[in-house]
Amino acid sequence: MSDTPRHIVSSYEQELNQLRALMARMGGLVENQTALAIQAILERNTESAQAAMEQDPEVDALEREVEARAIKLLALRAPLAQDLREIVSALKVTSDLERIGDYATNVAKRSMRLGPTTSDISLGGLRSMGRLVQESLRLAIDALGQNDKEKALDVWRSDKAVDEIYTAMFRELVTYMMEDPRNIGACTHLLFIAKNLERIGDHATNIAERVHYSVTGEMLPASRPRGGQPNVEAPVP
Amino acid sequence: MTTMQPTPTPRLATVHAGAADAGARTMIEIENLDFFYGASQALKDISIRFPERQVTGMIGPSGCGKSTLLRVLNRMYDLYPGQRATGKVMLDGENIIGPQVDASRLRSRVGMVFQKPTPFPMSIEANIAFGVKLHERLSRADMADRVEDALRRVALWDEVKDRLRANATGLSGGQQQRLCIARTIATRPEVILLDEPTSALDPISTARIEELLDELKRDFTIAIVTHNLQQAARCADQVAFFFMGELVEVDSAGAIFTAPKQKRTQDYITGRFG
Amino acid sequence: MASQAVPAAQPFGALSRAAPDIGLERRRRIGNLVATVLAGVATLIVLAALASILWTLLSLGIGGLSLHTLATVTGPAGSNGGLLNPIIGSLIQVGLATLIGTPIGMMAGIYLAEFGGASPLANAVRFVSDMLLSAPSILVGLFVYLLLVAPFHHFSGFAGVAALAILVIPIVVRTTEDMLRLVPVAMREAAAALGAPRWRVVVQVCLRAARKGLLTGVLLAIARIAGETAPLLFTSLGNLNWSLSLNESMASLPVTIYQYAGSPSDDWVQLAWTAALLITAGVLFINIVARIGLRGQDRS
Repeated sequence: MSDTPRHIVSSYEQELNQLRALMARMGGLVENQTALAIQAILERNTESAQAAMEQDPEVDALEREVEARAIKLLALRAPLAQDLREIVSALKVTSDLERIGDYATNVAKRSMRLGPTTSDISLGGLRSMGRLVQESLRLAIDALGQNDKEKALDVWRSDKAVDEIYTAMFRELVTYMMEDPRNIGACTHLLFIAKNLERIGDHATNIAERVHYSVTGEMLPASRPRGGQPNVEAPVP
Repeated sequence: MTTMQPTPTPRLATVHAGAADAGARTMIEIENLDFFYGASQALKDISIRFPERQVTGMIGPSGCGKSTLLRVLNRMYDLYPGQRATGKVMLDGENIIGPQVDASRLRSRVGMVFQKPTPFPMSIEANIAFGVKLHERLSRADMADRVEDALRRVALWDEVKDRLRANATGLSGGQQQRLCIARTIATRPEVILLDEPTSALDPISTARIEELLDELKRDFTIAIVTHNLQQAARCADQVAFFFMGELVEVDSAGAIFTAPKQKRTQDYITGRFG
Repeated sequence: MASQAVPAAQPFGALSRAAPDIGLERRRRIGNLVATVLAGVATLIVLAALASILWTLLSLGIGGLSLHTLATVTGPAGSNGGLLNPIIGSLIQVGLATLIGTPIGMMAGIYLAEFGGASPLANAVRFVSDMLLSAPSILVGLFVYLLLVAPFHHFSGFAGVAALAILVIPIVVRTTEDMLRLVPVAMREAAAALGAPRWRVVVQVCLRAARKGLLTGVLLAIARIAGETAPLLFTSLGNLNWSLSLNESMASLPVTIYQYAGSPSDDWVQLAWTAALLITAGVLFINIVARIGLRGQDRS
């Protein structure tokens, strides 16, 4: 928002900037955590999994910090218009980011429990899903940092592709399980991992919607473009 | 196979429903109003409508013309030579800034409450009767009823019913301001103008006045000038932002305070004026 | 909700402050002391002067103060006369002058404050009124002499009343204008906003709001004319005989003082002191009333 003049009250401006900095840090952390988790599954990399899990407490702490500061700003500065939208969005985005962090941690944990028995199961779907979700998340966090409503709209539109891959993977994994009951353990883990990645995509979309509202003051419609829904809803881990 | 749903195009829904409730009847409609203090122009080509039985809040920096607009609505500017208005200010189909309009009668229809409480140096009762007597001949009993009704409507009756003949200057600031509002509504106007009515009051008295506005808007069309954005947000249905004699934006309070369309409005209400 | 990461605000103590300058502080204290002492001495001088006047008047005047003095007409030296006719004469002339001068002065003051504004006429009226306020009162006496005494070839109470009224007018004009200007614009606008025409605003709201100030102005005017001697010398002259006729010369306390004080007769000198005491007491009384009125003036 380079065209926006600064606040007359510079301490207010400072507090807003501190909030933005925290959000940026949290976004970067969660993006990195997601990348590590995906790497952990695709490459069976225990170190990456460990690293992803170790980041979670920091993400949680950042969420509480953002929340505390946002509430303080709301109470003490009585923000209006753009400021109000930005702060309220920060409150919501921070919990989206925290959820993403939880899902990434969950993916990392499952990657360690997956075991070596999955060599005959194709990870192609998971690979492209991971790529798409990471891309969405990166775009959403960029949009957040730059207050870019175009990027936000791109994320919002791309969620459909993630949903489609998820539905395809769901069918594929169910097929593996029916073919050979010995696959059931690994496939169940993979199913949950896919579901977690799909949820990360959803939260990235939420972030994009928040950014769009924060920048333009307009809410995106409630129904966003969705890909196919599996007829069996996987339980949320 | 995946079932595909038609992709909805991102239709941008807005949180607000445009300016104040479009269904309300227009009480005052201003078209292309210009106002001059001598040679300097204080209002430039203002067009705005005041919906009936709604509160219109007017905000903007000092000297932006919001108070001036208020003083056009009851022709207060008539008191001062060299001030003149051109354009149309329609109240019930009549252009009230036209030369044929009787200012005294207009002021009985468009009442005004000022920044500082202005009780007259007479009894509480006489304060309220003062305005009524200018326009109506009432019997003693009718006048007493009118006084009581006005005081009840501003929730002052219980506080002063035992000392109606006491001097009004002995009331507290908040009570005085409510008395002034009672005095205004006693003449049964259609429109009430308030020029920063709470800027001299403490928060509790302010809250009382704001509560009163909510009550009064059932019967009156209200225009309030305020420097307190939160007050405009709390009280007004429609908010107009003025800047340097221009009407920059008018919209519902929800829209103005969450998502104003004009950058100047945004900068002003977020405290970014440079 | 508190978060540890918020950096602590810089305490004010971090601002550096210059070491206190002992010399500067000492000079300031000495300056303060000198100013206080000077002001105190000046006050004492004024109070001493006032006290000595009052003491002189009381000690010399009280001796002649008796019911006999108040109830007996003046008489020749040594005849045990009183002050009845000057007292009544002063009351009549001061009373009538106030009754005539006040409405004229008030109306002019209302014109200046409410209607005239800064128009040339108003400025002229204001200028003339201020001139009159500071003009020597003997000139006023002379003016009335030429107007009301010389053409009729005799002095009269009327002329005295006229001269005193002329002195009342500018005082009342000034206080009326000043007091009306103190009425807040908002109050006028509030009355106008109810639909009140201008005259009602002025009469029912502004005059009411300023009433205590106006009363104070009138009382001050009375106090001023009660002690005037010069304008009466040319007009009502003074009369040693009992007379209530305004068409004849009329007695008054100040003129009586003027005539008696220089007399070789001790009882006349005594009466002069008593008359002076009466005027002073009267004026003091009016001043005190005026001050109480001022104190009660609503601040708004």
